[in-house]
Amino acid sequence: MASLITCPHCGTRPKEEFSIRGAAAPKRPSPTAKDEAWHRYVYVRDNPKGRYEEYWHHEAGCRRFLVVERDNLTHEVFGVTDAAEFKRGGAAE
Amino acid sequence: MSIHLLHRHVLEDHISGFETDPNPNHLSVIRRPVIFSVLARAGHEAEVAEALWNAEDVAPRLCGPYEWLAVSRTVGAETVEAMLSEIANASVIDQSDGRVLMEISGPGVRKILAGCVAVDLHPEVFEEGRSATMLCCHAAANIARTGKDTFEIIVPRSLAGSVFEALMEMGREHALTRGFAD
Amino acid sequence: MTSYRLGSGGAINRGQSLSFTFDGRTYKGFEGDTLASALLANDQMLMARSFKYHRPRGVVTAGSAEPNALMTIGSGARAEPNARATVVELYNGLAATSQNRWPSLKRDFGAVNDLFSPFLGAGFYYKTFMWPGVFWEKLYEPLIRRAAGLGKIAMQADPDRYEKSWAHCDLLVIGAGPAGLMATLAAGRAGVRVILADEGFRFGGSLLSESAAVGGRPAAEFAAEVVEELASLPNVTLMPRTTVFGWYDDMVFGAVERVQKHVASPSPDLPMERLWRIVAKQAILAAGAEERPIVFGGNDKPGVMTAGAARTYLNRYGVAVGGKVAIFTNGGSGYRTAADLVAQGVDVTAIIDARPQSADPVPESIRVIHNGSVIATKGRHRIEGLIAERSGLEEVIGCDALAMSGGWSPIVHLMCQRGAKPVWSDEKQAFLAPDVGSAFAAAGAAAGRASLSECLKDGAAKAHAALDALGRLVGSIDIPEVEGEYDPAFAPLWYVPGARDKAFVDFQNDVHVGDLGLAQREGFRHIEHTKRYTTAGMATDQGKLGNVNTAAIVAGMRGVSPAEIGTTTFRPFYTPVSFGALAGAARAERAAPVKTSPLHGWARKNGAAFVESGLWYRSAWFPREGEKTWRESVDREVLNVRANAGLCDVSTLGKIEIFGRGAAEFLDRIYSNGFLKLPVGRARYGLMLREDGIVFDDGTASRLSENHFVMTTTTAYAAEVLTHLEFSAQTFWPELDVRFVSSTDQWAQMSLAGPKARIIMSRVVQDDISDAAFPFLAAREVTLRGGLKARLFRISFSGELAYELAVPAGYGEAVADAVMDAGHEEEICAYGVEALNVLRIEKGHITHSELDGRTTADDVGLGRMMAMQKPDFIGKRLSTRFGLTAADRLQLVGLKPIEADKDIKAGAHLLKDGAKPSLANDQGFVSSACFSPTLGHFIALAMLKSGRERIGERIMVWDGLRGSEVPCEVCPPVFVDPENSKLHL
Repeated sequence: MASLITCPHCGTRPKEEFSIRGAAAPKRPSPTAKDEAWHRYVYVRDNPKGRYEEYWHHEAGCRRFLVVERDNLTHEVFGVTDAAEFKRGGAAE
Repeated sequence: MSIHLLHRHVLEDHISGFETDPNPNHLSVIRRPVIFSVLARAGHEAEVAEALWNAEDVAPRLCGPYEWLAVSRTVGAETVEAMLSEIANASVIDQSDGRVLMEISGPGVRKILAGCVAVDLHPEVFEEGRSATMLCCHAAANIARTGKDTFEIIVPRSLAGSVFEALMEMGREHALTRGFAD
Repeated sequence: MTSYRLGSGGAINRGQSLSFTFDGRTYKGFEGDTLASALLANDQMLMARSFKYHRPRGVVTAGSAEPNALMTIGSGARAEPNARATVVELYNGLAATSQNRWPSLKRDFGAVNDLFSPFLGAGFYYKTFMWPGVFWEKLYEPLIRRAAGLGKIAMQADPDRYEKSWAHCDLLVIGAGPAGLMATLAAGRAGVRVILADEGFRFGGSLLSESAAVGGRPAAEFAAEVVEELASLPNVTLMPRTTVFGWYDDMVFGAVERVQKHVASPSPDLPMERLWRIVAKQAILAAGAEERPIVFGGNDKPGVMTAGAARTYLNRYGVAVGGKVAIFTNGGSGYRTAADLVAQGVDVTAIIDARPQSADPVPESIRVIHNGSVIATKGRHRIEGLIAERSGLEEVIGCDALAMSGGWSPIVHLMCQRGAKPVWSDEKQAFLAPDVGSAFAAAGAAAGRASLSECLKDGAAKAHAALDALGRLVGSIDIPEVEGEYDPAFAPLWYVPGARDKAFVDFQNDVHVGDLGLAQREGFRHIEHTKRYTTAGMATDQGKLGNVNTAAIVAGMRGVSPAEIGTTTFRPFYTPVSFGALAGAARAERAAPVKTSPLHGWARKNGAAFVESGLWYRSAWFPREGEKTWRESVDREVLNVRANAGLCDVSTLGKIEIFGRGAAEFLDRIYSNGFLKLPVGRARYGLMLREDGIVFDDGTASRLSENHFVMTTTTAYAAEVLTHLEFSAQTFWPELDVRFVSSTDQWAQMSLAGPKARIIMSRVVQDDISDAAFPFLAAREVTLRGGLKARLFRISFSGELAYELAVPAGYGEAVADAVMDAGHEEEICAYGVEALNVLRIEKGHITHSELDGRTTADDVGLGRMMAMQKPDFIGKRLSTRFGLTAADRLQLVGLKPIEADKDIKAGAHLLKDGAKPSLANDQGFVSSACFSPTLGHFIALAMLKSGRERIGERIMVWDGLRGSEVPCEVCPPVFVDPENSKLHL
């Protein structure tokens, strides 16, 4: 029926305003990185159960990519950050 | 050869003319508003916002952390463009033809809009002067509270017909009337 | 007379008589009645036939858990099957029809099933309809389908409107009984935003059914006063006739409001039902408790109902359910019903109490049989007596109604809908609500509170806790005194042994104790398996009455506690919700939003046939008088563009304005080809890859000034490309100074193509557009004659001399008209996307038919657009993988039929000449095909293994779906003007 995400820019919104793009942790390797690193980045995802960082695009709102940290089993949301902040914060390895 | 070009509003296919006898709940379509997208360079959003809020004859509408719509119903596009171009670290582009501006007002306005948007529009939560982009009848719309019972809705032109019809449908219970503002 | 209306009393308006029909017979009821109470008032106890055995049934409840009294309300397109008579609000003219019987409710041919019932036990279908396999489709399934289901749905379109709406509150209170009213009152007075929703049409819940006094006045009067105060508070929203059916993530509740279900002539301006999504910070579930039936032989006879139901009919609706009522109980509820009946002058024949003794007050001169049980009932269409048993001695007791009470089950479904399981309480002998966090709590009977005064107190307490969590607790409210309440405590009684007739656990699905035993013996022991094997707990009531008895009986059979058996999973919806409400206004032409191009009016004027393309309506072709098929129009349009000129609406292409000092660098990283050196005033064709090296989209980007580009995308990928740009800018390179916004809607864009395009365009545009001044791939702002600013691009999809002119959308129609006028002498025509497609296939240009998510730039002959000398661009790194550079990849080629009159269809597969069609022999497929009016025969673009080496080869185009084989010659993909001489005219 609905679930809600609190966008740091727009406030609380229904999930219909967003599209999910998957894991936020993988970081785009440098153009000179080894094949294995690129293979992992493009094709390999951990798909864990539980706490997870995902990209959510606020398509019908501010159009920013957000990193939503949530439990994908219970949908408990722990935090929502702008993706650019997230990158600057160096949360990804 | 000089060509005389007639401007046509997309909702002319849906409504004709000015409503002479509007009901308390009324949807008014502004025929030729001036609407510009304003995009701030990262790191300069605060100064761009300040300049926008200080600009005369222009109402800023918040779209995102770096993006606004600058709306004017009183001055022309050239004036607005000239004024906005003065703002440092901002990019501006005319969207006056790409967006449709509607104003909905009346005692039933929140009940009507509750059928269109998921956002809480209670006056303590969404105060006068507030604006945001949100899903409204399946379209990404910018909605601003411009009065106690008045909201401005800006939608993409291509979806304006659908949004307009959906608003009117939700307004049936509240005897919503509609017409061009001018 | 068995059941009848009392001379006075009840929360009904005796001044407002309503007329209604049941199976064609006319009856009278009162405003405030339900259909069930009105039928009982008219002594119509027989209301339905059961699902499987077609046994006669009456009401068991007075509320939404009703499993038996299902009827069809209304007729024609408005007929609604399986409505519960116990919650259908009576209105003048209501027409109800019984279901699942033939020829009539009293004489039902299907009742023969009851005689065959020894063969129709649980699992009957699974065992019987197994073999032979061929019988399934022809015999068994049609047979089962005919027998299945109760009511029949209307086959006409629903004539009513439906809406969906959002609501927001600090506190949502579900249920307007004693606990819910007190909770709402406490929160309402504290000033927070409260929504009180109740499925009934009158607030009060059990207060309307009980004879106690609250605050010195009758309970119903107290309820009315509270409701009056709540209605006066601006921060309180009262939602009667609203069932909260689901609890979803993030404290969103789903609810359905029956706006006009109770209205004789519904208003066309109001929805029939409205679906609510209620966002609450805190919520209180005050849904009350369900009284459990007792599982004894013949417990399904019309006239057997719960003691609470009998009390509700008596006190709320002023209806005595019988003239001689027997009571079978294991707790205080039965005694209270007896007392209330006696007070209204109804004869109570006996109280049969399963317990050895009791402290409940017994009405004067009423006989109590302790340690007693009911083992059978008499009568056919209505109970006429029962056989009571005590210490091996049987006794026949006459009665025309039997009120039973097997204890209480808190209604906790909503709190269990997100995965938490209800918790068994030995003390309460019931499943209680699980702890689901501090935002959602049960109150009153739903929390296992027994008495009325406890419920009032608990409602206020839970509201105080919610207010505290909201930071809005300002003090507590007074709890009114209750006088004359009863103690609803009970002893467990799961089923009565020694039954002489079927003892039903689940009335709606005709599941009796024997079925549960069979399921255990046959290994379907998990409660979820038991449910599926026996159907206990399925269908419209989802076992609201039977589930707890089922779990406890299964526990008894297995010698364990009900805690070990647990319940089946509670899922939304709590009660059935119509599809109409779920769809809301999104039906028929409003099923999806429609996007219209700024040139829609122009296209319509020119007679366009439109085609849906995503949400857009695009002009497909422009038929002229005398043209009988679309092909005739398209052929004419194509030839005219090649010979003269044509105008096509390309407004739907995505347009993105890109700004910033890093814009060129950004595009250079986004496209596979270089953009750093694109001069101002020029457009460039660009190819975008995905990170895996596959082509994502193609389009153009034009540099309007040093730090301002405008990008075009394909229509289909407009949204995806913008998202791709945003993702790349925000997550890969946030340090780049680049920002963008879609301007797709701002511009009406039209393509003017053909050898005469320049002459025509120069009559519209002021600027010099000679080949020298405005060469191929020029892109800049121009001024139209008359002064309008526009954007002009010299780009071509057709292969002809062509311009794309973009003007502000509101002027689109006028400018297109002006172009058509300007080209009148040159015989300009309007052309649509079909002709555009033919033109591009003739020219070998690709679209998403070729860029299908599997092709590389090299596959489609654009290998030269891979600027591998760039340090980085999206897709670069993986584009050189072995698999993407293999020599036998499918490559873009052209095909022409060897016999010129043969046609080629897209989707057909390619085989070596003479090879058998097989997966191993597959050589590729046709991606695009059309009749080329320019060449006079069919042509196609195809993806062929090592295609570019095979030019000149004869190949078979095999279409297994449409059954054709067409020998073709492989040729280069550009059929028309391979030298591009026409582009540079």
